[in-house]
Amino acid sequence: MSDELVQIETPFAFNEENQREFDELIGRYPIKEAAMLPTLHIAQRQAGYITPAVMKYVAEQLDVTVMKVKDVVTFYPMFFEEPVGEYVIRVCHTLPCALRDCKVVLDHLKAKLDTDIASETNLAKGTTADGKFTLMKVECLASCDVAPVIMINDDLYKNLTPEKVDEILDNL
Amino acid sequence: MVEERRILYEHLDVPDINTFDVFRQYDGYTRFEKAIAEYQPEEIAKMVLDSGLKGRGGAGFSTGEKWSFVPRDIEPRYLCCNADESEPGTFSNRYVLEKNPHLLIEGILICCYAMGIETTYVYIRGEFTLGKKMLDAAIKEAYEKGYLGKDVRGTGLNIDIYTHPGAGAYICGEETGLIESLEGKRGQPRNKPPFPAVEGVFRKPTVVQNVETLCNLPFIVGNGVEWYTQMGPTYADTRFDPPKPDANTGTKLYCISGDVNEPGVYELDLGLTCTELIEVAGGLRGEEVKAVIPGGSSAPILTHYELDTRLDFTSLTLAKSMLGSGGIIVMNETRNIVDCLLNIMKFYAHESCGQCTPCRWGTPWVRDIVQRIADGDGRKDTITRPKFGVAENGRWGDTGETEEIYEDLDLLESVANNIANVDTMTWNTICVFGIAVSWPAVSYMRKFRPEFEAAIREGKLVTLPVAEATIPPEENYAYQQRFIPKEFADL
Repeated sequence: MSDELVQIETPFAFNEENQREFDELIGRYPIKEAAMLPTLHIAQRQAGYITPAVMKYVAEQLDVTVMKVKDVVTFYPMFFEEPVGEYVIRVCHTLPCALRDCKVVLDHLKAKLDTDIASETNLAKGTTADGKFTLMKVECLASCDVAPVIMINDDLYKNLTPEKVDEILDNL
Repeated sequence: MVEERRILYEHLDVPDINTFDVFRQYDGYTRFEKAIAEYQPEEIAKMVLDSGLKGRGGAGFSTGEKWSFVPRDIEPRYLCCNADESEPGTFSNRYVLEKNPHLLIEGILICCYAMGIETTYVYIRGEFTLGKKMLDAAIKEAYEKGYLGKDVRGTGLNIDIYTHPGAGAYICGEETGLIESLEGKRGQPRNKPPFPAVEGVFRKPTVVQNVETLCNLPFIVGNGVEWYTQMGPTYADTRFDPPKPDANTGTKLYCISGDVNEPGVYELDLGLTCTELIEVAGGLRGEEVKAVIPGGSSAPILTHYELDTRLDFTSLTLAKSMLGSGGIIVMNETRNIVDCLLNIMKFYAHESCGQCTPCRWGTPWVRDIVQRIADGDGRKDTITRPKFGVAENGRWGDTGETEEIYEDLDLLESVANNIANVDTMTWNTICVFGIAVSWPAVSYMRKFRPEFEAAIREGKLVTLPVAEATIPPEENYAYQQRFIPKEFADL
C-alpha cells in the first residue's frame, strides 16, 4: 500500500485504554507478530472497521509490513474492511440451524430491517440506510442445541422465532 | 434406557461454579495438588497413556501417545488448548468455557506439570465472547490464588495461561492451522511432518489438545487409571496377532441437535448406539429417523439401516464414518438429503482456506453441482461405468458388470474423490479438510442415491419416504467392510 493512499485517511492510534491493553498483550508472545489477531480485534473495536490507516498503525506496532496485516485481515471473516452498522447481526445458517427453520428468522430480519444480506466483499449491501444494522449470514455459531440462533454484536440470542426477534430488536 | 454419567459436566449447573471459591468446594484444584504431591511428571504422562484417553477434538488420537512424541530436551515447550469449536453440530466446549472455566484451567495445569510446559495459549473462537470473558476472569482469579504465575503453590513451577481470540475461520480448528493463526498469520495448515509435537508454535515442541480432552485429566489423576478404564468398551484390534485391546475409555460429551425433542449435551459412556442416544435426547421429533450424522458435519452419514452402530471411535471407524467431535445431527423423514448436502457444501466452499488447489476449486465445484441438482437443473444425460460389488472371488471389487448413472452424480463423486479419495483414504490436500468435504459429498450421494436421482429426473427436489430413499447395505459399496467390532473380553 503506498503512502499516498494512507494519507487520505484519518491517521489512527490507540487511545490510552487500548494502548495499555496492547502493551500487556505484547508481552505474552516471544515474537511481536503473534499478537496480530488480538491487536486487530482491539483496533477494530476502536475504529469500527479496519481502514488502511489502522493496518499501517498495526504494522508499525508489530514490526511487520502493511501487506502482512492486509493478508491476515482479508483471511478472517470477523475483520471488516468497510464500515458496518452499530449493531452487526450474525444469523447462523448451517445445517442444525437450518433444520430448525433459521430461514424464517433470516427472512423476517430482512423484511423488518428492509435490507439485503451482506456479502463478505460488500458489507454495504446488508447495512440499513440509517447505518444502524448490518445483517449477515455466518457459519455455525456452536449453539446447535438452542437453534436457530443469532448474534448481535457480542451477544447470543437463542431459540428464535419472528416474535422473539421483534422483541429483541425493540429492546436494543 | 441408558443413564447419563456426568463427570466433566457434573457440577456444570452449580450456581457460581465459575468462581474459585465454589469450584474449590467441589474438589477444585485438589486433583492438581494430588498430581504435584504424589506423582512425578513422567508418572502422570504414563497414567494418561494407560488410561487410553483419546483426543476429543476430532481425530481421536491417543493423548498419551501424542505426549510421548514431545522431545523433553528442547525448551521452551508450549501447550495450545484448542477452543476453536467450529464443527457444525458441536457445542460442548462452549458450556465448559462459559460455566466451568476453572475445570479447564486445572486440566491445563496437570498437562503443563506432566510435560514441563510453562506457557499455554488457549485459542478461543472469536465468536465466543462470553466464554472468553469467563475464562479470562477465572485465569485472573487463579493467578490471585497462586495457582498460576511464578512459583505455583511453592513448587517452583512457573505456569502462564493466555487466551488468544480467533476471528471466525473454521480451518483454525485444525491443529497446524491453529498454530499458524496463533503466530499471527493466515490460518493455513502446515505440511506434516514435522508434527506439532516436534515443531509447533514458534517452531518449538507443542502439545495441541481440545478443551474436552484437557478436562478429562483432573478425573484421571483424581480417581485413578483403573476407575477411568472401567468406563466404555474395549475392542479387540484384530489387525494384530494376538489381538490387541483397543480402548474407548471414558465418557464423551455427545452434542445432539436437529430433529430430537431435547437437543443438548449429554455426557455418556462411549459405546452406546444411535438409537439409544436419540432416546436419551427425548426421542425423535417426527415419525422415522432418515439419517444421522455421527460426528460433526464432516462425518459420513449413517442411514436408518445403521442405527445400531455404536458411537465410539472404533465402531464408527469400522462403519466407515467417524466420531469426530461428537456432534450428532439427526434428520427425520421430512428432510431432503440433497438439500442437507447443499447446506453442508456451502459451508465447506466458504471455509476452504484456499491454500491447496484441489480444495480451493473442488469445494465450490461440488457445491455448484449439488446446487444445480437442488435447483432441478441436474444433467439428465447418463453414462455407463463399471459396477462395483461383491466380485467373483468373493471380495469387494469390479463385478464385471456396468451401471447407468446420471452424469452429474458421477461428476460429483469424481470431483469429491479428487479432493480426497474416500475409498483409499488418501487426500490431495495438505490437511484433512479435503476428506471432510468429500466424505459427506460421496457418502450422502451413495447412500441416498435414489433421492439424488429423483431430483435430477423430476427436475425438482423430491423427498422420498425413508425406505425408498436409502440403498440397502448389501447393494451399496459405501458400506463395504462394515462390521461390528468384537469386544476384547468376548475373544
